Amino acid sequence: MNGGWNIFPIVAAVVVMLSAVAAAIALIRKERSVVAMTLSALSIVAMGGFIALLWMTLERPPLRTMGETRLWYSFFLLIAGLFTYARWRYRWIMLFSTLLATVFMVINILRPEIHDQTLMPALQSVWFVPHVAVYMFSYALLGCATLLAIASLLRPNIGADEGIERLLYGGLAFLSIGMLTGALWAKDAWGAYWSWDAKEAWAAATWSLYLVAIHMARSVMNVKSQRAYYIVIIVAFIALQMCWYGVNYLPSAADSIHAYNQ
Amino acid sequence: MKTADITTIFIALAVTLLQIAIGAFPVAMFAFPLNTLAMLLWVVAMLHIYRYRTTSAIAKFMLSREATWLSLLIMAATGVVLGLQRNPMSDAWAVVIGLLFVQSHLMFVVLRGWRVNNRIRWRFAILHIGLLLALGAGFWGAPDREQLRIAVESHPSREAYTIEGVERRLPYDIALKEFKTEMSENNTPTNYTARIVVEGESVVLRVNHPYNRTWSEKIYLINGGVAHNGSDYAIVEVVREPWQWLSAVGIVMLIVGDVLLFLCGPKGRR
Repeated sequence: MNGGWNIFPIVAAVVVMLSAVAAAIALIRKERSVVAMTLSALSIVAMGGFIALLWMTLERPPLRTMGETRLWYSFFLLIAGLFTYARWRYRWIMLFSTLLATVFMVINILRPEIHDQTLMPALQSVWFVPHVAVYMFSYALLGCATLLAIASLLRPNIGADEGIERLLYGGLAFLSIGMLTGALWAKDAWGAYWSWDAKEAWAAATWSLYLVAIHMARSVMNVKSQRAYYIVIIVAFIALQMCWYGVNYLPSAADSIHAYNQ
Repeated sequence: MKTADITTIFIALAVTLLQIAIGAFPVAMFAFPLNTLAMLLWVVAMLHIYRYRTTSAIAKFMLSREATWLSLLIMAATGVVLGLQRNPMSDAWAVVIGLLFVQSHLMFVVLRGWRVNNRIRWRFAILHIGLLLALGAGFWGAPDREQLRIAVESHPSREAYTIEGVERRLPYDIALKEFKTEMSENNTPTNYTARIVVEGESVVLRVNHPYNRTWSEKIYLINGGVAHNGSDYAIVEVVREPWQWLSAVGIVMLIVGDVLLFLCGPKGRR
């Protein structure tokens, strides 16, 4: 196994422990806890340090394989959880973001698609890092928005709407920038900004569903449409999972020009 | 049932019948100047209908929230349906009519919303006009887009082929000087480089680094290697896309709008 990845289970254990303790403290304390935020920040630094180490040992940005994108997703999810807690004091958000990040880290330990050090010619582009990193950050923000939407659907009076809306705005902004930098890269690589390849088609579907959500957020809503709003956010997040990795399991992915990230 | 619902059902039926009767939308038939003329006619028609926004039922519907939901659902449904197809039918009648509706609604929304109380709404305008330009350039410019593949060897050649396999002659020769593959330690390719001669000029092609032959034409390196006879060959693609700059302007506007979306966040009361 590659040098950098050898220590990942240890790093993951440290990150999960720090985040879990931070989440538990945040859940217990009614006021915003500085200790919880510090522990959470330490877990993010540990994760960030591992990504930097991996970048150096691989001698390329660790953004190519599904395993590597999961790593970034866990990293950004922890940041988004801490940000949401620090900004809006949702006591339980760090617990959910830690759980979700842990799931992705465990998958990385059990399925390490990480042995290949080379970066194929198609991925050697100035667009590579911004395209993938921005996408992963948007996925994390939208993941937190989804957690808040699920909680609001179950307990309508938790008052998470402002948080959901802000996370949606940030998430959609980065999702769009990720998609648009992808279009500019596609023009350089394949000669077309958009070719309705399976991955692009699902990206369009995801983007459109988040546009539905953001337009709904700006509307005057009754109880029924409020529930529909939360459901749209959840459906959009399912479409996002399809776009990210679900599409790889569809027959339409067989001829996909995005096949290198499977 | 509302008039809008009946109209939607009627259009859906018409689109299905057209698809069954004549197959995919004849994109190539609308090459320049027909596409430009059609676009100008569409713009004039939209502006004309918009003038009657307080009295016309069509204009009222096009400015309604229902039209926004319908536009976004058309885009989402198009994505899901094409995302399930191995050979995405992006030239199906339903896609063409759907995208035309989306653009029409966007145009109405831009006309109404770019300025409120004599104040320009910059973020709204940049985002919506950017999307209209990016969508419009891809939609109206599609008939003028040409993608030709050519196998290049040491002797000059100009026989290229479309994706469908139809032969087209390039107006200039391309010849290969050298094709190089760099390999990593674990024997996987890390870089392809082709040195070709285009109209007497020596050009280096790499993946992600096309050659801009003219303002509307780029040459891409697709593949290469060593042929059976031992000589080098390269597969290159010539892409002509006169509307590409309009798409680029739309995409850059959208990126700027998205940065503003992140920085400013939600505005006003819900």
